Amino acid sequence: MKRREFIQRALCATASSALFTGFAGKLSLAHAAATAGGRLLGNDYRALVCVYLYGGNDAFNMLVPTSTAGYAEYQAARGELALPLGDLLTLNPSVAPVGNGTFGLSPSMPLLRNLFNQAQSPLAITTNVGPLLYPITKAQYQAGSVPVPAQLFSHSDQSVTWQQNRADAQDRRGWGGRLADMFYQTNTNQQLSMNISIDGENVFQAGDNVFPYFVGQNGAEGIDLVQPWNPERRAAFIALRDASLQNALQRQFASVMRRSMNNEVMINDALDGETPLATAFPDTHLGRQLQMIARLINARNPLQMQRQIFFVGLGGFDTHDNQLADQADCFAELDGALAAFHAATVEMSLANAVTTFTASEFGRTTSVNGDGTDHGWGSHHLIMGGAVNGRRIYGTPPSLAVGGPDDADWGQIIPTTSVDQYAATLARWYGVPASDMSTVFPNIGRFATSNLGFMSNS
Amino acid sequence: MGIRMKSLFFQQLSVATLLACAPVVWAGDHVFDSGFDHRVEGPWSDAQAARFLTQATMGPNLASIAHLRAVGYNTWFAEQANQAATHHRPYLEAQEAAGIDVYQNSRQEAWWLHGIRAPDQLRQRVAFALSELFVVSDQSGAIEGQPIAMANYYDLLVDNAFGNYRSLLEQVTLNPVMGHYLSMFKNRKTDTEENIRPDENYAREIMQLFSVGLVKLDDSGTPLLSGGQPIATYNQDTIRGFANVFTGWNWANCPRDDGGQWWEWEYCPPGPVEWPEPGWQAWWLVPMQPWESYHASAESKQLLDYPLVALPAGVLPGGGTAASDLHAALDNIFLHPNVAPFVARHLIKRLVSSNPSREYVGRVADAFRNNGLGVRGDLGATVRAVLMDSEARTLPSLTSNAGKLREPLLRVAHLWRALDGRADDGRYREWNADYYLGQAALRSPTVFNFFLPGYRPPGEMSALGLDGPEFQITTDTTVASIASGLGSKVFDDWRGSPWVDPEDVVVDLAPELPYASNPVRLIDRYDLLFMNRTMSTFMFNTLVNYVAALPNANTADRRQRVQEAIWLIQSSPEYSIER
Repeated sequence: MKRREFIQRALCATASSALFTGFAGKLSLAHAAATAGGRLLGNDYRALVCVYLYGGNDAFNMLVPTSTAGYAEYQAARGELALPLGDLLTLNPSVAPVGNGTFGLSPSMPLLRNLFNQAQSPLAITTNVGPLLYPITKAQYQAGSVPVPAQLFSHSDQSVTWQQNRADAQDRRGWGGRLADMFYQTNTNQQLSMNISIDGENVFQAGDNVFPYFVGQNGAEGIDLVQPWNPERRAAFIALRDASLQNALQRQFASVMRRSMNNEVMINDALDGETPLATAFPDTHLGRQLQMIARLINARNPLQMQRQIFFVGLGGFDTHDNQLADQADCFAELDGALAAFHAATVEMSLANAVTTFTASEFGRTTSVNGDGTDHGWGSHHLIMGGAVNGRRIYGTPPSLAVGGPDDADWGQIIPTTSVDQYAATLARWYGVPASDMSTVFPNIGRFATSNLGFMSNS
Repeated sequence: MGIRMKSLFFQQLSVATLLACAPVVWAGDHVFDSGFDHRVEGPWSDAQAARFLTQATMGPNLASIAHLRAVGYNTWFAEQANQAATHHRPYLEAQEAAGIDVYQNSRQEAWWLHGIRAPDQLRQRVAFALSELFVVSDQSGAIEGQPIAMANYYDLLVDNAFGNYRSLLEQVTLNPVMGHYLSMFKNRKTDTEENIRPDENYAREIMQLFSVGLVKLDDSGTPLLSGGQPIATYNQDTIRGFANVFTGWNWANCPRDDGGQWWEWEYCPPGPVEWPEPGWQAWWLVPMQPWESYHASAESKQLLDYPLVALPAGVLPGGGTAASDLHAALDNIFLHPNVAPFVARHLIKRLVSSNPSREYVGRVADAFRNNGLGVRGDLGATVRAVLMDSEARTLPSLTSNAGKLREPLLRVAHLWRALDGRADDGRYREWNADYYLGQAALRSPTVFNFFLPGYRPPGEMSALGLDGPEFQITTDTTVASIASGLGSKVFDDWRGSPWVDPEDVVVDLAPELPYASNPVRLIDRYDLLFMNRTMSTFMFNTLVNYVAALPNANTADRRQRVQEAIWLIQSSPEYSIER
């Protein structure tokens, strides 16, 4: 890191969180700091919502082949974990997927099945996505002749890899953060981060200039003891908080506290002023998170936000054990929360402006370990929103055959679509021009296409 | 006015510190600085004692500072080493015997009770640090219904806090709580026909998180590079080798040998008697036992390969028993060169500093490699090396960016230890600290603990290359909720308040009130008690001026002064980063 570069970053961080800097001053600082430059100010709204499935979702029990041959292959691999054919919820894609296979959805996902099958469907599935450095075949993988991301199959590392989408990067910046670095100036409000997480710290949303802001499931958390009704205490608190601190850890703590306090009033005022949404959300961990996002989007005008990236998370997908029961619960929670969230975007007439997608560190092995599965590699993912070319299954569905052409070994399925491609397709919809795609996704040129086609062109 | 007071005060304090026995400014609260023959090894000041106790215990208080100053570090370590372990499981069993329904709440109560009151403070603090290394969590459905077994697991960490790492690793591995958490329990050998093969969960995490980590380290914990890139410690073959090792373990007293039937493997009970007889889950409390016909004996197993590895190329030949394979595999891990710097780094980061020098890590790793008597893995010697290293015992300069963010749990523990927090009946009903702290004992979201050791917050710290693990749970939400939570504990929950219930843990502010009329003395007292006398002049003066402006007409006023001072300190950036 060059010293000058560092100073510039430090300034940006200060600028974006300082309440008492004049707005004009902040804007000029933000402009001065811009490196991507040239983004047009838009008066429309667009949001990406990342639904992170912690633990590595076993999507091979989410989207299951239903043709005679396909199901037999699945059943042979999955043994006791195989979902009964008759229980699967039939999907009716408008275009046959690559390989002309037929598929059913987990019986725990009836609402998503309905969304998928409906006319003007807002739901698509992309198959066998995973972190890759280059396209790779089984022979190349086994020979070690093509590099692969470091520490495949490790939770922490593949979680970072998925979110960074630069499998060979050393920093901990995510592609949501890099997108935000390009777009944050679009927002009239330069105080509130355009990246908001309802589920705490994540790599995905961290950029160079934009850092995620954290909101709880019930809104922003305030500190009653320093409200303006006690100006003396408030002044003392702020004096200690904003003191000239010589230790970088102290400064970091102070900056989080400052940001928290400054944003809390703004966010809660905006939420209090919104017209409540009629859409009911399930009272689940994910339901409450997505409801808060819907409320924040509903308050986009008072908050003066035009571009936002949200992050929510659901744990419990690391199904080494007791998978059938545990995963059914997770899928049911996902099903109810996603369907409600989509309904809320429809209610706000923003379905075309909000795109929701799943991410998870890896898929799981097609082979089983008794009553669960282990860490795999490629996996299937859901994309939902009015701008999604739905009712389609994208990518190349893999063979689930034991020892088959996609089986790296022990049922770890080699991805046929890279996370870069999956993310670039979303980024393209979000507004990243083709010429800038390699800025956000440096490795994208290594893959056949940067557009998987699941987003409409508008 | 404030500035003058603090500078005068500082001059006299520094003299007191330099000439250890010189008279001090405020006799009464500085009594320990003048009253002792200093032990040759120190500590030589109250501030040094408080700083040490911040690192080595759940928080200093005046009594512990006085005691440490009286006996010196060496005797203190000896006392702590000889202090009987305070166990968590008996607390839960006593509640059960008293007819109280025992849930994870009871385990949290035990953690707070022992954290605040147990005399074996060093042991409790190290056990907490170990609970963030050998992680299990009641957030897992596999063990959330087993509070007593989880307390028993915690006691294993308590008992081995000064024991040997190799022995601890084996006890952790065979504990049914870990067995269920990372699914080694009932893990079975390959069945090709059913396309079943051994579960890789424990194999992966024991290496990645408990012992060697993902990349090869030098003796000081710095990653070794090849072509500019870190070198992986192991690969998928190694994971499968260990996955095969960790097969064939089930409840104690299941049929162990070839006479057993598959349904007994699947359904043998967790205890010797039927539900609901007492003891129906007794096997949760004893190590898992092997069942040979489910152990992958025949396979040769790729274990860790490293210079001077005992097994040729790190390969364990087939033919072993479940126990012999397990012992060989744990020895193979234990002797890997990464283990010493890996454990050293963990303990330093939990007890002292987020960004230790490589020399410091190296010195602590040396103690792990050899305790001075030729023994490897002595955790007592390692802990002592962590705490008595010159880098731990020297107050670092501010600009060095040394220190660490205080863990949320330890902030509350500090408050309660400093001000004798307790409920009338002695129970600590702090059942859901995670709601406002984002942290509770054995309650992390995943096996990756509450935070990763190498976490760097985006922004300046990343740019400077500074780790700050605890920042991973320091969100816009938690900074506010922690400040509010500490506020209610000091403003609302004090002994004698008409508004508290007998069940509430309350702090004792009575001993503080005499200082309230003199803001300089008051803030000086808390500079020692909460900040090891590291408070900046600016902060000192700000607090003195603020408190001095508050009324001082009666007891309620004086209490308010005390509360304001303590809360403003505990929610400040300077306090939050301990140095």
